[in-house]
Amino acid sequence: MRRRGVLALLLSAVVTLVLSAGGPADFVFPLQANSVRLAVIGDMGTGDQFQLDVARQMVKSRAAFPFEFVVMLGDNIYTGNQPSDFEKAFAVPYKPLLDAGVPFYAVLGNHDTTNERFYKPFNMNGANYYTYKKGNVRFFALDTNYLDPKQTAWIGTQLREAGTGDWKICYFHHALYSSGRFHGPAGDLRKVLEPLFVKFGVDVVFAGHEHVYERVHPQQGIYYFTEGSSGQLRAGNLAPSTMTAKGFDTDRSFMMIEIAGNDLYFQTTSRTGVEVDSGVIHRTIRPAPGSAARH
Amino acid sequence: MMTKQWIGRRVVPGLAALALCVVPVRMLAGQGAAPSKEQADDAAAFTAFSARVQEYVKLQKTVESSLPALKPTDLPEMIAAHQQALARKLREARPNAKPGDIFTPAACEAFRHASRAALQGPRAAGSRAYMERDAPTPTMHLAVNGVYPDTEPITAPSPALLAAFPPLPAEVAYRVVGRTLILIDVESRLIVDVARGVFPPA
Repeated sequence: MRRRGVLALLLSAVVTLVLSAGGPADFVFPLQANSVRLAVIGDMGTGDQFQLDVARQMVKSRAAFPFEFVVMLGDNIYTGNQPSDFEKAFAVPYKPLLDAGVPFYAVLGNHDTTNERFYKPFNMNGANYYTYKKGNVRFFALDTNYLDPKQTAWIGTQLREAGTGDWKICYFHHALYSSGRFHGPAGDLRKVLEPLFVKFGVDVVFAGHEHVYERVHPQQGIYYFTEGSSGQLRAGNLAPSTMTAKGFDTDRSFMMIEIAGNDLYFQTTSRTGVEVDSGVIHRTIRPAPGSAARH
Repeated sequence: MMTKQWIGRRVVPGLAALALCVVPVRMLAGQGAAPSKEQADDAAAFTAFSARVQEYVKLQKTVESSLPALKPTDLPEMIAAHQQALARKLREARPNAKPGDIFTPAACEAFRHASRAALQGPRAAGSRAYMERDAPTPTMHLAVNGVYPDTEPITAPSPALLAAFPPLPAEVAYRVVGRTLILIDVESRLIVDVARGVFPPA
């Protein structure tokens, strides 16, 4: 009885732990066959030198970690919606990636015009919110600029229909948890979205808006990342709290992710190529809603 | 009454009919006792507002159908051209549009009441913070038939407010600038109507 209890405790620790202890020198992506590999950028569309620097670093990193697509967390084009703005804040900075056939999947930020959804390289296909699947990962790209009951119902339906077999990753612009001084957490959005995320077993959430990088300790079993500094930066704006697992607010950054089976490996890299965070999230398969209590 | 006549005159698409029905039901739901006169007036005002929105969307669709359809494209100039052409044609189709055409005084009052209710209680601070976060310039010039500047950030009503307001068809959306509620044409970014003083002072 006691042995079984200890075993259960050990198993529980293993399956729910974020292995973030690995220092920068220790972390390597496994580069497993058939894994899902992506990069994550947010609040990047300034068209300035800093965005170009981050983009250049992404290209450099891709030589070692060949990510297959890029997720954009909004504020894709800050400067306006003229053709020259798209050129300056997207087509030029990411040209090497676009030329290499790397697709981008965007959501809208509060500085974006809604018509960006018609810009083919953003892969929104005319929709403000959408879902797609890569390998064993189901992505949900949401529009937190306008979270009306229609979208909320759509999210619930999509999350439910996605079942429990695949990873569920949601991404959108406004961070539900944030230690940023400028905006802070989007509590009103959290009240609507978090119950759905918990109920239907979302594993990881990415957001931007706050111009820093932050990884938050799991909230109700969900891992939240803010990456809002891939072009913009609000230096020194992070006020780390007890929920902050790791923060970085002294330079721009981007993330790289590999999902292999039930493990998600992440690495956050600065504009200058310094690793600022890394770790592994092991996914627990959760029971379908209603079938049993969540872990 | 106006709504019944309006419905009687036209074949209302399913979603529009739903919008017309949902608003008053939601407004009156959970009230227990019979609705007060204010609640009944607001429900009627919202129903009439939804009807006027549908009228606008019908016009917008007619105008847009005269343009090449906007489909996903690699060319941002196509998107910009469509937006500008649609805005120009909508202005031509509504040359005398003015504040209050859609946000009538009765509708404004209903929105004020709904906002006041949603911005009280435990969710008030969250709703306020949502709308004030990165808000557009409060002194921004807001004119009916003007274009919402693409250099200004977007702020929409909070989820709690969107749940309290009449649902909108996809062609239009609510926006917030300070205490003003705006109805915007999504694709052209044209300001369809403006309702000032809807949101209570901070």
